[in-house]
Amino acid sequence: MTTKVRGTSPRRGLVETVRSPQTIRTAVVSAGLVVLIAVLAGIHLTQGTSTSGPLDVVKALFGQGDAQTLAVLEGARVPRLLAALLLGVALGVAGAGMQSVARNPLASPDTLAVNAGAHFAVVAISAFGLSLPLVPVGGAAFAGGLAAAVVVLGLAGGGAASPRLVLVGSAMLLALQSVTVLLLLLFEEETSGLFAWGSGSLTVADLRATGQMTPIVVLAVVALIAMGGKLDILALGDDNATVLGLRVRRTRVTAIVLTVALTAAAVTVAGPVGFVGLSAPVITRLLLPIAKHRALLPVSGLIGVVTVLGADVVLRAIMGSADAVRVPTGVVTTIVGAVVMVWLARRGRGSGSRRPAPAGRVGVAGSTRRLVVISVVLVALLAVVPVVGLMLGDRMVLLGDLANWVTGDTGTALTFVLDQRLPRVLAAVLAGAALAVSGCGIQSVSRNPLAEPGLLGITAGAGLGAITLITIVPAVGAWSIAGAAGAGATVVFLLVYGLAWRSGLDSDRLVIIGIAVWSAGMALITLLIVVSDPWNSAKALTWLSGSTYGRTLEQVVPVALALLALTPLLWFKHRELDLHALDEDTPRVLGMRIERSRLVVLAASGILAATAVSAIGVVVFVGLVAPHLARSLVGGRHGRVVPVAAALGALLVSVADTLGRTVIAPAQIPAGLVIAMVGTPYFVLVLWKTRP
Amino acid sequence: MRLLTPAALVAATALLLSACGTTENTAAAPSESAAASGPVTVTDARGKAVTLKAPAKRVVALEWGEAEMVASLGVMPVGAADVAGYNVWDKAAPLTAEVKDVGKRNEPSVDAIVGLNPDVVIIADERDSTLVPQIEKYVPVVVTKSSDASRNFDRLREDFKLVAKTVGKESEADKVLSEMDAKLAEGKKAVEAKGAAGTPFLMADGYLEGSTVSIRPFGKGSLVSDTAEAVGLKNAWTGKVDPQWGLGQTDVEGLTAITDPKTVLFYSASEEDVFTTGLAQNAVYQRLPFVVSKKIHKLDAGTWTFGGPKSIIMTADQIVKAVTA
Repeated sequence: MTTKVRGTSPRRGLVETVRSPQTIRTAVVSAGLVVLIAVLAGIHLTQGTSTSGPLDVVKALFGQGDAQTLAVLEGARVPRLLAALLLGVALGVAGAGMQSVARNPLASPDTLAVNAGAHFAVVAISAFGLSLPLVPVGGAAFAGGLAAAVVVLGLAGGGAASPRLVLVGSAMLLALQSVTVLLLLLFEEETSGLFAWGSGSLTVADLRATGQMTPIVVLAVVALIAMGGKLDILALGDDNATVLGLRVRRTRVTAIVLTVALTAAAVTVAGPVGFVGLSAPVITRLLLPIAKHRALLPVSGLIGVVTVLGADVVLRAIMGSADAVRVPTGVVTTIVGAVVMVWLARRGRGSGSRRPAPAGRVGVAGSTRRLVVISVVLVALLAVVPVVGLMLGDRMVLLGDLANWVTGDTGTALTFVLDQRLPRVLAAVLAGAALAVSGCGIQSVSRNPLAEPGLLGITAGAGLGAITLITIVPAVGAWSIAGAAGAGATVVFLLVYGLAWRSGLDSDRLVIIGIAVWSAGMALITLLIVVSDPWNSAKALTWLSGSTYGRTLEQVVPVALALLALTPLLWFKHRELDLHALDEDTPRVLGMRIERSRLVVLAASGILAATAVSAIGVVVFVGLVAPHLARSLVGGRHGRVVPVAAALGALLVSVADTLGRTVIAPAQIPAGLVIAMVGTPYFVLVLWKTRP
Repeated sequence: MRLLTPAALVAATALLLSACGTTENTAAAPSESAAASGPVTVTDARGKAVTLKAPAKRVVALEWGEAEMVASLGVMPVGAADVAGYNVWDKAAPLTAEVKDVGKRNEPSVDAIVGLNPDVVIIADERDSTLVPQIEKYVPVVVTKSSDASRNFDRLREDFKLVAKTVGKESEADKVLSEMDAKLAEGKKAVEAKGAAGTPFLMADGYLEGSTVSIRPFGKGSLVSDTAEAVGLKNAWTGKVDPQWGLGQTDVEGLTAITDPKTVLFYSASEEDVFTTGLAQNAVYQRLPFVVSKKIHKLDAGTWTFGGPKSIIMTADQIVKAVTA
């Protein structure tokens, strides 16, 4: 089993340059990894859902096995093992390549949204019933992954070690995931198996896919290693590389295409296995701090194999093979990867406070006349949009009906339609406002224009809390769900805040740790669903993607109370918010108790986001987009931004909800998915405008 | 902004002007249909007594099994969830083109449901539990159990009789149930005559995504398993199953738990067929007893494994034919 792996280890290089201590270290590490992989592979082969135990397998390996064990090895265990090997190599090398190209230790198939792009393409093919042979599926995965990578790298403006790359990639990931979830919901039967697969599964049917993808992976790995020298030069920076005669653009494009091909091959075989590409190169750099690419790439591949195989072995050892069938391997690797990401973020140096305030280039548009006009328009819209929301839906209603309804003169059917529509409209309006205000607070204190409650893991924590409670007690009341969401959000927020705290709070560190915790939270939610209620994924998906379906007035109360109490609080602190947004030193110089103020703002923002989640589920982008839009309308001062953003958030979610209930009626699209689709183009615009 | 504001104002005004008026004539009370027979009271799966002024004529059924039950009693529902999907997956009692689609099964549109002005809404337990109290304020709701792996056949009879009483078709229900019983008894006799009584079987469906495969065996207590056992077969799957549907989950290797060479495989696949496309070349699959003996039967497209008595009849027919052939 290990011959395949050994082929990619740097044996030849070893013989040629055996002098330096670094080479010896590389050789020792590689040899250790190969041994470890051999041991893991051995254990892996003995695990499975049939009765063929370790002894049978050992006998079979020495040519004395019974026919049954041989068949099990041939038909199930060896394909699974080879798939794991292929995935590990492909994702590990791809991750290392991407980190080099982006010159950013946080780049990976996940954070550049390559996985998500490839996954989306595969789901789309399945949803629309295009049952194609495997290679075109791989081609579609490649196209989807490449498109995502190009957009992300383009918007991130070169990358160059900025955390912006991760933010852009994560936002793109959110958008692509939303559309993928929409397809899963609309095509519940056609895609029933895709939910678990979406997190990466190793239960391959046979060797066909692995066999077809192996040449691609081998070629891409060999080509990347051959480019190793050029990648070393590229690492010196574009200018230096150009001076040294490297054709920078061509090298970069070639490397990206190769790494995307590796990722697409992995997705084609097993779905998006999370965070292997992120953690493998990081661990490699730990083991071999000054390795050149000829060593870095293959060793990352080996570490990738250890990660995937290890996750699978540990999962099956803990849960037992029969139960572990339900749990996608990618869930485990995502959690492992999230830990690595947090560790990496904590270890990295702070980026200082040179970055501009969130107002960025928007400038301060302070004219009072403009402010008055905008306020009037917003108030008018706030009056009109909810009314329109009440009127539109599967059944259209006119104003006269609404008047009748208010006076209690409507017939049974119409009374019912409007009675159940009212809480939905209210939930959308209030949750939208809460998320927007929350976003204002978080963007200000994290001094990061791309931060929002979703990316800080707060909404995932709230979702995890709520889903956990719903799983344990199916018919639980609104207040309990709000409480569980609040508890989840609090725990996750404290976790993120505590982890990001290292003699002060660095805003980039906060966001990157937030993203890691967000990914781990989503992986845990997936785990919870596939283990507890595998045949009802649609309901969980609906809830997770943000929906006002079936809301009652009682469920709207928590978010209304939070808004009433906390919006004024944040508004009264608007000068503090302005100072936070400025830089790290000014507030200190002015004698502000910066940490305490920051904690109060973050806590208020967290509670607002948590109650919003308990009202309409996990909705992303609102907390990001609404404050931005508000700043572009009324300038950067929070005294103005907070109320305007609240109004915009309310409008945004209300419009999205109305659209979702109307466009494909009687079927409906969850509001959160509409927002993702509407929000993504706007978000891309923000990124484009704020690129360095 | 300068252009947007007036445009928005004009649009809003136009909308307001065009939106005046009403959509309903509140004077007429449409739900007063002439009651042919007196009120009915049924006790549903929640144990709640639901009283209707008369047997329901306009029925909305939100789960496919329940929609099938209503249709098989000779009452075409006025609305059902995902009608197009129903007609692909459940061909035991087809819905006509007049049946209105009220949205997806996981989030049916309440607007569409009440817009049909139904006499009753039939909802399966588990799905949409938050919906029930809301709809109930306006339209009577009857909740069915839908599945219970500890007593699925009794549960089926109870659900069916509940539905029949709701729509006032109890004698038709007795007829359909005795047709089902006769079919099962007749099938059992045929199986015994062939000496096939006690034949072990595996019933499963499967999914192929990318190149990964998952298999869902119907364990003891699932409705199709009860059907097969009623005609004298024996379920060979002993792995863990969930308490409601009786469904398990496994991979190809897990199927090696089936060792009896007499085992027959039944599988359902109204769309992609995993067993012939994904697994045919697999070494484990090729050694499975039913593959070696070629005792593999794909259920006809549209055999709904979570249906009503008509689906049971359809399933039993195919099982008996396969075992006695």
